[in-house]
Amino acid sequence: MNQKTMTFLLFGSFLFLTANSRASSDVSLAEVDFDHSVENIKSGAQVAMDVCRLCHEFKYIKYRNLLEIGFNKDEVDVLRGDMPLNTSILSTTKPEIASKLFGMMPPDLSLMAKARRGGARYIYTLLTSYSMDAEEHVDNKLFPGIKMPDPFAYAIRTDDVRQKELDQRIENVSVFLQWTSDPKAKERRRTGYYVIAYLIVLTFLFYLLKRKVWRTLK
Amino acid sequence: MSKLLNWVDARFPLSEFVKQDLTGYPTPRNLSYWWNFGFLAGFVLVLQVVSGLFLAMHYKPDASLAFESIEHIMREVNYGWLIRYIHSTGASAFFAVIFIHMARTLYYGSYRAPRELMWWTGQGLLLLLMATAFFGYLLPWGQMSYWGAQVITNLFRATPFFGDEIVIWLRGGFSIGDATLTRFFVLHYFFPFLIIGLVLIHLVALHTVKSSNPSGINLAAKDNIPFHPYFTAKDLYGLGVFLIVFCFFVFFSPEFFIEADNNIPANPLKTPAHIVPEWYFLPFYAILRSIPDLLGGVVAMGLSVVIFAAMPFLDRSHIPGGARYRPVYRILFYIFVLDFAVLTYVGAVPPSGSLVVIGQVATFIYFALFALLPFISKAEEKWLCKRGLPAEVEELLKSKSSPDKFNCPL
Amino acid sequence: MSDEDSKDPKESGRRHFLETVTGVVAGAGVCGAAWPFISSMNPTTDVLAKSTSEVELGDIAVGETKTVDWQGKPVFILHRTPEQISEVRNDQSAQTKDPEQDEKRVQKPQWLVVVGLCTHLGCVPLRKDKGWLCPCHGSFYDDSGRVLRGPAPKNLILPPYEFLSDNKILIGKVEEQS
Ligand code: FES
Repeated sequence: MNQKTMTFLLFGSFLFLTANSRASSDVSLAEVDFDHSVENIKSGAQVAMDVCRLCHEFKYIKYRNLLEIGFNKDEVDVLRGDMPLNTSILSTTKPEIASKLFGMMPPDLSLMAKARRGGARYIYTLLTSYSMDAEEHVDNKLFPGIKMPDPFAYAIRTDDVRQKELDQRIENVSVFLQWTSDPKAKERRRTGYYVIAYLIVLTFLFYLLKRKVWRTLK
Repeated sequence: MSKLLNWVDARFPLSEFVKQDLTGYPTPRNLSYWWNFGFLAGFVLVLQVVSGLFLAMHYKPDASLAFESIEHIMREVNYGWLIRYIHSTGASAFFAVIFIHMARTLYYGSYRAPRELMWWTGQGLLLLLMATAFFGYLLPWGQMSYWGAQVITNLFRATPFFGDEIVIWLRGGFSIGDATLTRFFVLHYFFPFLIIGLVLIHLVALHTVKSSNPSGINLAAKDNIPFHPYFTAKDLYGLGVFLIVFCFFVFFSPEFFIEADNNIPANPLKTPAHIVPEWYFLPFYAILRSIPDLLGGVVAMGLSVVIFAAMPFLDRSHIPGGARYRPVYRILFYIFVLDFAVLTYVGAVPPSGSLVVIGQVATFIYFALFALLPFISKAEEKWLCKRGLPAEVEELLKSKSSPDKFNCPL
Repeated sequence: MSDEDSKDPKESGRRHFLETVTGVVAGAGVCGAAWPFISSMNPTTDVLAKSTSEVELGDIAVGETKTVDWQGKPVFILHRTPEQISEVRNDQSAQTKDPEQDEKRVQKPQWLVVVGLCTHLGCVPLRKDKGWLCPCHGSFYDDSGRVLRGPAPKNLILPPYEFLSDNKILIGKVEEQS
C-alpha cells in the first residue's frame, strides 16, 4: 500500500466515523417524499392557522411573512384581525389558559422543524403516530405520553379516503413548518448554485494559472 | 507612485519587507499541497473575524434577547442567514484546517529543530482557538449552548480546594446565566486579538527558520524558489478548492454542524436527552469520559491537548526527514490518526457497554503512543543506521550545499 | 510580475492574458462577496415594515401641535387657525432662503405636517410664538415650516402622507408588498 492510498483511507475513515456518529438516531421516521411547493406551504399554513394556532405560537413568523407564501393581502387581513402586519403570529387561546389545560406551555412552532432531527419528517411522523388501544386510550408511538391531544383525530380515522386526505393535510403542515423554521432555504439554495458555479470557474482559472506559472520552472 | 514609495522607504522598509518576506520569500520548491493549510488557516481566521464583526452589529449578549436576536439575524437582517452560516460553518472549517495542518506537521516532522517555536506557538494558537470556539458556542443561547457551557465550566470543580468558588467565579453566578453570557461574548470578541498577535509571532518565527518541506531536509539555496508567483498561484488554487467545499456546506447543508437541540432556547430546568460537544472537541471529550474520576478525567483531557507541545522532546531520533524516511514513525502516525478518529466516534455517541471499553482502550493507546515515542524513535534510529539510510536521503545530505549534516551515532 | 523566467514572448503574453482574466474574475467575486456584508448594515426588514405611522387627528385642538413618531423621527402636526393660515399665505416677503408657497406645502390648509428635524444639523426645533425655534443654532421656522432666519438651508421637510379619512392620516409611503 503506498502512502497516498494510506492517507486517503485514514482520512476517509475519519470522515466516515465522524459523519456516522452524527447521523445515528434511535427513532425511525416515516419516509415521505415531501413536495415543498409554495402551494403546499400555503395550504399547510391554512391548516396550521386553523388547527395549530389554537394553542401554539409562531413567534418568529409575522403576518406579513405570509405574503411570501402566496397569501394575498385580504386573506392576511382576515387572519390578523386588527393586529398590525408586522406582528408575530400568536395563538388564539391565551397562553395562561393553554398551559393550564395541558400542564405546560405549548411550545412555539416556528422553529420546531429545525429543533428536531429529521425536520419535516419528524413532524409528519409525530402527527401520524397517534393510535388507539383496546381501552380506547389514545397515545403516540413516536412520543409516548405526549401532552398534545391528537390534533387531526388521526387515531380515530375511519375510511381510506379520509386517511388519504388526512395524510395530505399533515404533509402540508409539515412542509409549512419546515418553511417557518427556515424561510430563507429557497433563496439560500438558489444563491448557492450561482456561488458554486462561479467558484468552479474561478478555481479552474487558478488551476490554469498555477500550471502556467509552474511550467516556467525546471 | 515610485516617488511616494521612495518617500515611504526612506522612513519604513516597505519595499524591502515586501521583497524579502512576501514576494521574494524563499520557499522550498518541493512543497506538496499539504502545505496549503497554513495559508488556509489564515484565510479562515480573516473570514471569521469579518463575519463575526458583522454579526456583532446585530447580536445581543443578553440572556433574554440572545436567542431571539439570532433568529432576527436569520430572518430580518439582509443576508443575515448567509453571514451567520458562514460564521458557524467557518468554526468547523477552522478546526478541520488546523487539524490537517497539525497532522502534516506531525507526519513530516516539521516540529523538530529548529522549528520548535513554530510548533509551540501553534500549540498556543490551538488552545486559543478552542477557547474562542467554546465561548462562541454559548452565544446562540440554545439548549446545547447552555448545557455545553454548564458541563465544561463544571470541569473546573476538579480544582483542588477552591473548586466550587472557581466555578461560581467563572460563571458570575450559581449557574450559567446572563452574567456568563455577557462575559463569554466579550471574551469571544477579545480572544481573536490574541490569536492575531500569536499568528504574527508564528509568522515571524516561520520567516526566521523558513518552511519545512516533504523531504524533511533543508534544501540547498538553489532549490528554493520565490513565494510569488509560484506559491501565490498554488495557494490560490488550493483556496478555490477549499471554498467550493466550504460553500457547499454554507448553502446546502448549513445545519450539518448545528445540533437540532440548539434551536430550542436555553432552559436551565431541563437538560437535553443527549448532550454532545461540537465535533472538533469530541476526541478530547471522549478521553474525559473514559476516565471514571472527575479530576483524573479533567487532567487527562487537558494533557491530551497540551501533550503535543512535548513532541520535540519525545521524538529523539536524529534521522533527517519526516515519516517518509522513518517506517516505524510512519506506522505510529497512522495509528494515531485512526485512534483520533475512533475517539471522535466514541465521543459522539451515548456511552454504553462496549463503547466505554473501546473509548478506554483508545485513550490508553493515545497516551501510550506519546509515552513510547522516545524509546521507539531511538530504537528506530539505531535500526535505520545499521540498515543504511534511504538513497534519497544520503544524496540530499551529501549534496554539498545542504546545510543539514547527519552522522550515524554508531 | 516577475517574468524573467519565461523567455518565450508568446508564452509570457499568454500568461499575462490568463493573469488578467483571473484577476478580473476574482475581483468581481470579491466585490460580490462584499455586498452581503455591506447590505447587512442597511435597515432590516422589520424596520422597513415599520416605516409608516397612522395618526388620529381628532384629539388635536385648533391651534395646537402634536409631535408623533415616524421612522423614529419626530413629525409635527399643527392644527392651524384661520389667522395662522392667512398669515403664512399673505406675508411671503420675509421668506427668502428657500421660497415656497404655503399652498404647496399642505394638503388641507388647516393641517401642517412636517418632519420636526432642523435642516441645519438635525436638532428638534421648539414651538415658539408663531413658529419653531431651533435651540441648537437659532434657526427659526414659521407656521408653514419655512425657514425665516438662522443657518438652516432649507424649509422643514414634508413627509409623504395621505388622508385615510377626514380625521386620520397615514405618514410614510405604503410599501408595495407582493
Ligand atoms: S441644528 Fe438647528 S440651527 Fe443648527
